[in-house]
Amino acid sequence: MPRESEPERSAGGVPVVEITRSYGFSAAHRLHNPRFSLADNARIYGRCNNPNGHGHTYRLEVTIRGPVSPETGWVEAGPALDAVVRTQVLRRFDRMTLDHLITPTDGPTSTSEVLVALLWRILDGALPAGRLCHLRLEETPNNFFDLDRDGADGLARPVFTTPADRGQKVGPA
Amino acid sequence: MIQVTKRVEFCAAHRYANPRWSEEENRRVFGKCGNVHGHNYILEVTVEGEPSPDTGMVMDLKALKDLIIEAVVDRFDHKDLNQDVPYFKEKNPTPENLAVVIWELLEARLEGRQGHRLHRIRLHENGSFFVDYYGEHAGHAERI
Repeated sequence: MPRESEPERSAGGVPVVEITRSYGFSAAHRLHNPRFSLADNARIYGRCNNPNGHGHTYRLEVTIRGPVSPETGWVEAGPALDAVVRTQVLRRFDRMTLDHLITPTDGPTSTSEVLVALLWRILDGALPAGRLCHLRLEETPNNFFDLDRDGADGLARPVFTTPADRGQKVGPA
Repeated sequence: MIQVTKRVEFCAAHRYANPRWSEEENRRVFGKCGNVHGHNYILEVTVEGEPSPDTGMVMDLKALKDLIIEAVVDRFDHKDLNQDVPYFKEKNPTPENLAVVIWELLEARLEGRQGHRLHRIRLHENGSFFVDYYGEHAGHAERI
């Protein structure tokens, strides 16, 4: 990602490269904050507050950053990225209702702002330390949400739990 | 500062192999990428600078395009990266290493020009994977 400071360069040393892969998952949700009145929810969230919910084909771009291995020519942790995203994100969220997976500690409701912060905590915890560099969550081709390490460090860090983590059944009853 | 980006395409073949490893180890690590195959690469070159008070441009994009074609596209397009590009005799032709060599080729040609500098190389290998390189190195780093 573009950064303010000048990149560090030298003739020697291993190049540091960022790699980005994109993934897709489909999920349903409804924007609704139970602390607001029904009228306020309808006013604030509009069509996104439809009682029976709606859904999106989300696209997630995951950027990791690291030295290029002299042995493979790949960024270390790159080859493991697909498996981490598949097990930690796609398996958890694809074809699910987000509202069953997002708890009040994650945020007030399943906006993409809340979701991208949750995805950051999940992926940052599952990837080698410090490798995660940037997430872009596209809710539709016209709406996308970016989070980098500075942004994530600035967020409150609730403990991540989902009903599945607590051993409860998830998904439609 | 404004960043301007020129996008070009090139098509090339490659295969992944580490000559220091056994055939079995290569197959285990690189899998199908050990077979000769190819990609339609999309290269985005970003140059950063202040627009000239005379032209209103950070850099003449036609000049940038000509530079990219001479330094990169003519070298890599419709080539076998492993066999036709000396740099990849030593290194695996991964998008990571391609981005670094493209940076080096272009930075040398942009050096000394007034008012702008190379900012980023973004190389797309396919629709769902790209790499970014900002000229950074780990270790022994010095600011220049």
